[in-house]
Amino acid sequence: MKNKIIMFWAIVILTIISVVIIKVKPIPLGLDLVGGSRIVLEAQKTANISEITNDMMDGLKVAVENRVNALGVSETMVQRMGEKRLLVEIPNVADPKYAREIIGETAELDFKKPILDSNGMVIDWESSGLSGEDLKKAEVAADSAGGWYISLKFNDSGAEKFEKLTREYLHHQIAIYFNGKLVSDPVVQSVIPGGMAQITGSFTKDEAKKVVDFLNAGALPVPAQIVEENTVGPTLGADSLHKSKFAAMIGIAAVMLFMIFYYRVPGVIANIALIIYSLIVFAIFKIVPVTLTLAGIAGFILSIGMAVDANILIFERTKEELKSGRTLFTAINSGFDRAFTSIFDSNMSTIIICVILYCLSSNIVKGFALTLAIGVLVSMFTAITVTKNLMHLMFGTGQLKHPALFGLKDSDINQAYEASETKREKAKFGVLD
Amino acid sequence: MSYSVLNTKKIIDVIKYRWLWLAISFIFILPGIIAMGWSMKVYPTHTPLLVGIDFTGGTIIQYAVNKDISNSEISQIRQNLSNNDIENPVIQILKPAADSSDDIKNIISVKTKFASDGQNETIDKVSEVISKDYPDSQLVQVTSVGPVLGKQLFINSIIAISLALLAIVIYLTLRFHFEFAIVACLALFHDVLFTIGVFSILGLVYGVTVDSLFITAILTVLGYSVNNTIVVFDRVRENLKFYSKKATYDEIVNISVNQTLARSINTSLTTLLTLGALYFFGGVTTKDFVLVMIIGVLAGTYSSIFFANTLIALWHEITEKKMKAN
Repeated sequence: MKNKIIMFWAIVILTIISVVIIKVKPIPLGLDLVGGSRIVLEAQKTANISEITNDMMDGLKVAVENRVNALGVSETMVQRMGEKRLLVEIPNVADPKYAREIIGETAELDFKKPILDSNGMVIDWESSGLSGEDLKKAEVAADSAGGWYISLKFNDSGAEKFEKLTREYLHHQIAIYFNGKLVSDPVVQSVIPGGMAQITGSFTKDEAKKVVDFLNAGALPVPAQIVEENTVGPTLGADSLHKSKFAAMIGIAAVMLFMIFYYRVPGVIANIALIIYSLIVFAIFKIVPVTLTLAGIAGFILSIGMAVDANILIFERTKEELKSGRTLFTAINSGFDRAFTSIFDSNMSTIIICVILYCLSSNIVKGFALTLAIGVLVSMFTAITVTKNLMHLMFGTGQLKHPALFGLKDSDINQAYEASETKREKAKFGVLD
Repeated sequence: MSYSVLNTKKIIDVIKYRWLWLAISFIFILPGIIAMGWSMKVYPTHTPLLVGIDFTGGTIIQYAVNKDISNSEISQIRQNLSNNDIENPVIQILKPAADSSDDIKNIISVKTKFASDGQNETIDKVSEVISKDYPDSQLVQVTSVGPVLGKQLFINSIIAISLALLAIVIYLTLRFHFEFAIVACLALFHDVLFTIGVFSILGLVYGVTVDSLFITAILTVLGYSVNNTIVVFDRVRENLKFYSKKATYDEIVNISVNQTLARSINTSLTTLLTLGALYFFGGVTTKDFVLVMIIGVLAGTYSSIFFANTLIALWHEITEKKMKAN
């Protein structure tokens, strides 16, 4: 009995710790619940790039990270995914379209020099060798007339190249291309030393800002294309979260009512175990931490069904033992012992499937597998430790005086079981014949 | 009368009516198989299920609106989209779950080809068309999958399911016996086949498509099915250990099924209660996912009571006959 009381307090302390953890740590919510964009980019081979190297991918990752950071949202994530893909996650994004644009564009800035015909007319443009790589910094600036332009500051080599370009083509046109499109083709009025330049065009403030963001983030070392996208608006995310919470509560309440109705006092104990179970599971979610997604919530709700299953198995077994006339203490103990093999084998098979799912699947499915596996493991602990302990404390020893407490009828209970009729070895296994 | 396991009250006789139980399984699974065959013939993808963009590649754009949408309005939207160079748009109206505190009444879902370049252009065009007719519509979700990625997902799914099956056979052979492992797998096929069959029919009749969450749901059904079957087999294993001299194999199987009957039904009931809550009150995005599991749990309950045990008794009978013949 002393052990039981120590165990009881251990459970109480564990529950309190869980509650504290739940109160203190926030749970990260998945993009499908808060809204946001999940984009998979794939590096593309071009005429110049015959093979995508590791260095290119690292460069691509840095460039995309810079751009995503320019969006100014927290908890963004850029991650390598296989050989030539990047996974980009941007939660809470206000304008998914802008995010999509800013991620996928190559952002090549190119200063081009004219090819002139004999009359000094421009017939075509060719690269001058001055590009976005020579930039130190770009800024949005306003002119006196209220128009917007982009102010560029080159690094040392860029400044040199720019000075040379303006000297060579003084009083001629040069062209500034962005992503292969002509943005501006000013006439050079004077030689410009010091590495300062301006791009004027008919920009709106937003357009100018976008180009500046691109330029500061750097060009993508290799063109990339969006191959998968999942954007959830904040309304739908909040709606799903709200509804899933509501559904989970209704589901749990219904299960609890059923347990009380069918199993009576043990049902109440199972419900207490279920509450402790939920608290521990959530505390573990927060410690790991598990990012909670819709599929994750579904996994959790399903694991409630399975957690209750362990209790049902045990109670059915205990009832059988009681029917055969055993005392409460032995009935509860053998109920647990004999139900354990089924609980163990059935839960192991579920965990095997979770492991396979976790190793082989995409992020969404991973979340589901992880929550389900945690749920199943914790349920084995709560069903066995918590329920058993509370059952013993509640019922103690002796004969069951009120079968109704277990949802049984008086007539269900048989004569006291006499051990002498059964061989000792069988009795140890709890076998009656 | 003294209590004995051998006197367990038999509510269900899985031995006497075994052909009936097997026939019921057959009758329920057959339409699904026919639907799958038919689907493979008529769908351009030649798949037994109507597969969504997760597998084929494509773009789905969804808008929330706070009013009801009639069928003629849907064809109007389709017409308007086609006029704006959107190729073969597929329009669907999704109903969010019943909930009073809610402005989202309907979700218009537009499916188009995967727009790799000019992704924004397509989305803009569609948004323009929709907002013309529904000024207060709100873009709530964009899902886009490239065709290459779709194929990979399909292959990965097949690998995941095959590995899961193999792992279960190995585990059950170690813990039980080879014949139990095989029958558990047959029961699992039974459940998965029935569930996929139902979705094949739903695809043909209501245009319900399956996505990557469907695979997850099927894998969960798989886990649940094995879980259920194991509980009954565990009892058979235990009873065989102690009563094999006092009762025939058939009797022991029958007793075991009846002993675990209350548990089988109650566990399914509690699981269905939680799933039902998710289906009726949960978010619109998990609805199909939950439906797969509801159907799977129903099939799993049936198979763990009627199908698996009937087969295990049959298996034993056949091997015994063979032994005698030799």
